[in-house]
Amino acid sequence: MMYMLSNRDKITAPSYDQGLLWVALLLLGFGLVMVYSASIALAEADKMTGHNSTYFLVRHAIYLVLALTAGFVAFQVPTRVWQQVAPYLFIGGLALLVMVLIPGLGREVNGSRRWIPLGFATLQPSEFMKLFATIYVADYTVRKAAFLDSFTKGFLPMLAVMLVVGGLLLREPDFGAFAVIASISIGILWLGGINGRIFVGLLALLVVGVVVLIMSSPYRLQRIIGFWDPWADPFGKGYQLSHALIAFGRGEWFGVGLGASVEKLLYLPEAHTDFLLAVIAEELGFVGVTAVVVMFAWIVLRAFGIGKEAASHEHHFSALLAQGIGIWLGVQSIINMGVNMGLLPTKGLTLPLLSFGGSGIVANCVALAVLLRIDWENRRLAKGVPV
Amino acid sequence: MISSSSAKVKPLILQLPAWRRRALLMAVLLGFAALLGRSVYLQSIRTDFLQQKGDARYSRALVLSAHRGMVTDRFGEPLAISTPVESIWASPPDVTINADQLKKLAGLLNMKPSELSKKFTNSEREFVYLKRRMPPEQAAQVMQLDIPGIFMQREYRRYYPAGEVMAHVVGFTGIDDRGQEGLELVYQDWLSGKPGSRRVIKDRQGRIVEDLEAVKVPQDGHDLKLSIDRKIQYLAYRELTRAVEENKAKAGAIVVLDAKTGEVLAMANQPTYNPNNPVNISGKSRNRAITDTFEPGSTMKPFTISAALEAGNFTPETMIDIGNGAYTIGKNTIHDVHARGVLSVSQILQKSSNIGTAKMGLTLKPQALWSMYNQVGFGTPPHSGFPGEVAGRLRPWKNWVPIDQATICFGQGVTVTLLQMARAYGVFANDGELKPLSMIKLNEPPIGQQVISAKTAREMRDMLELVVQPGGTAPKAQVVGYRVAGKTGTAQKVENGQYANGRYIASFVGMAPASDPRLIIAVMIDEPSAGAYYGGAVAAPVFSKVMEGSLRLLAVPQDAPTNNVVIPPANLPEVGEVV
Repeated sequence: MMYMLSNRDKITAPSYDQGLLWVALLLLGFGLVMVYSASIALAEADKMTGHNSTYFLVRHAIYLVLALTAGFVAFQVPTRVWQQVAPYLFIGGLALLVMVLIPGLGREVNGSRRWIPLGFATLQPSEFMKLFATIYVADYTVRKAAFLDSFTKGFLPMLAVMLVVGGLLLREPDFGAFAVIASISIGILWLGGINGRIFVGLLALLVVGVVVLIMSSPYRLQRIIGFWDPWADPFGKGYQLSHALIAFGRGEWFGVGLGASVEKLLYLPEAHTDFLLAVIAEELGFVGVTAVVVMFAWIVLRAFGIGKEAASHEHHFSALLAQGIGIWLGVQSIINMGVNMGLLPTKGLTLPLLSFGGSGIVANCVALAVLLRIDWENRRLAKGVPV
Repeated sequence: MISSSSAKVKPLILQLPAWRRRALLMAVLLGFAALLGRSVYLQSIRTDFLQQKGDARYSRALVLSAHRGMVTDRFGEPLAISTPVESIWASPPDVTINADQLKKLAGLLNMKPSELSKKFTNSEREFVYLKRRMPPEQAAQVMQLDIPGIFMQREYRRYYPAGEVMAHVVGFTGIDDRGQEGLELVYQDWLSGKPGSRRVIKDRQGRIVEDLEAVKVPQDGHDLKLSIDRKIQYLAYRELTRAVEENKAKAGAIVVLDAKTGEVLAMANQPTYNPNNPVNISGKSRNRAITDTFEPGSTMKPFTISAALEAGNFTPETMIDIGNGAYTIGKNTIHDVHARGVLSVSQILQKSSNIGTAKMGLTLKPQALWSMYNQVGFGTPPHSGFPGEVAGRLRPWKNWVPIDQATICFGQGVTVTLLQMARAYGVFANDGELKPLSMIKLNEPPIGQQVISAKTAREMRDMLELVVQPGGTAPKAQVVGYRVAGKTGTAQKVENGQYANGRYIASFVGMAPASDPRLIIAVMIDEPSAGAYYGGAVAAPVFSKVMEGSLRLLAVPQDAPTNNVVIPPANLPEVGEVV
């Protein structure tokens, strides 16, 4: 569309994607409100928080400041720098994933070893690994462009890397993060033009792999069974999901009103993290859910649009990275919301940009900053200004 | 097929096929669309089901207990009152408690810490009573410990200030505040009121979040004012208890009636129990005055004699030859212990002659005699409104053979309760009118039924006065300053169809002041075993003491000089009776 604009318009046109920025900020702000609403009862009841009702609100606000700062810094980083450091970031991410598994370094919560305590906060490496993997796979696809038709040279190295990442993530276990990273990788390879037969084979392998994983671990099987019919064992395996569904049912079209959720009163576990959408659905109804879905769809559309623009400038890494970020946020939000609604088995994935959790928010914001940076570079290129 | 040369050129022009991008984007957007579809389904179609499931989990119907009405005596003195108490309960999964708190809590609840922590580890239940019905101050101390998962519930405890004195009349309530015995049971609906209800949503820790519907306010129960006079009741209970003890009796009962109104002023039994803690009460909980029937013996005679007077064949002065103490009817012979020769009707009653009474009764048609007994209430329930009241046994007159008729005349082969007997004597006290009984205080005397003429009733009273005079069977029934009319009974108990040797029921029924009776008192002592067993020796003194105290309490004008009591000389033989 740029060619239709006059020279003057080109200079005064915004130099970044305002719509994307505002949607992202809107989601972050909405997340702060909803995290507070969903966590009040929990924070008041919990001895660990000192019965302080604003415990999670304050922390979430601090995370937001941190995340926006990190995003601002990330926005300054040229895309080519990300490409240059892609392998190192990835190796760094792998190192963190190893560290989290070392007893004494990693902290175990509810049978999962996903966090590294840093004293003032905890770090969740898998969240950052999503970002690093996106950058790495985009770079890999560009580097291996010549071999994308080849099974041994194009696909096998990526498969090996993914098996390592997958192995580490499933040791935690963090099946959700693995699902997201696998989706991002496969998505980028697909966009990069991987051989169709390899792709079909890969999908088949994934299906088999997932089935084997589920069968091999009783806790995963339990989660599957709970999701199929939460009412069969509503006080056992189906407890969390049945409460999430009740929250949706109570919300109806317009919700019971902000702050008026009953499910958050310690009935629904993880109301402020994984099951935040259920609280949104109860308090703000279908309208609230639709707003969230539309905003995420908007981000995905913009990511793909920005990727298309970058491709038109033959910035293939940027294009793949932008779309990879779109896949990430899209897939993770779809999985999280699907879990909330009982469409997908319970995973332990947060709702990006909204759920409570420092690492997730920071990683999401850096990803959006990178996306905005790519768009910024696209606009410079369109104006003929060097990046 | 791609040639090897073209493959080498390819990295320079990485293709990002547009259709692949579009396909992937479509897939993701389809995912979002599916979410919206599911959201519509959950939030508009499945809502009823889901909300019902939700209600089942956190909406609770709370019962707002109504305050149970007070039971009072006729002057409003409390006999049963509900006081608020608190029950402490816990939701074990929500309890977080440290060792120090556990120790303090155990101390307040009067439990062992180990016992208490055992209750908390029972995580399968979400409701466990720790202690029911604690005094509110003590419960407040428990709540001040501020232990999460421990809650307080308001309940009411029934308290009976009069304890065992009133136990059989008032009865008691169960743990659910429902009447179990006595008037608490009879007037359950009147006393209990209607509990209110409140439908609320509770959070997982049991705190009320919001009301789901309008609160139904509880309707408190009504108070119940009994006919009982607490002071007379205490007096009656005290004297009865003393007599049962002194005579080493198995049981005893006493009824005090207001002769003018038929109101029960006192009703006490031995053995009794503490209604504030009704445990191990079997055998003690019976209100014997109402539920236990016995052969009345001689207290029956006045009704036989009044029937004969009513028939017109006799006057109090009519002389009857009772022979030498034995009188044969068919194959059976009836006996008198003391009475001999020719006696007037008055003397027959005074000496309690079986033969004389039987001779008078046998002049009547069985139907006429039966009708007299039936009209004064024998063989039918007294309608006192009490649970478990019995009718007694008065066989149909058509089945009577002469010996039956003769024995029934002096109270054998017929059974009554003490309350029936007391009420029946109202006929003599009230100039022939039989008043209905009432356990509830009446504002005005009810209209009774005229059973015998006023003339006969007065003649009977005059004759009954002789019973307590020297030469009668019950001089010990006399009361200082008042004329007393009454009759003794000493009935052998029937066991397995046979008269049991040495087992008697001693009774006395009487009224005072005889000139215009105000009170009727009936006393029954079951199996006195300390030597004396005549009604005149065992039951009459109880009557005398209770009557004297009660008349004084009621400030009834005297109808005799205060030196009226004539103590028979010690050497005068006691006038006994065999029935």
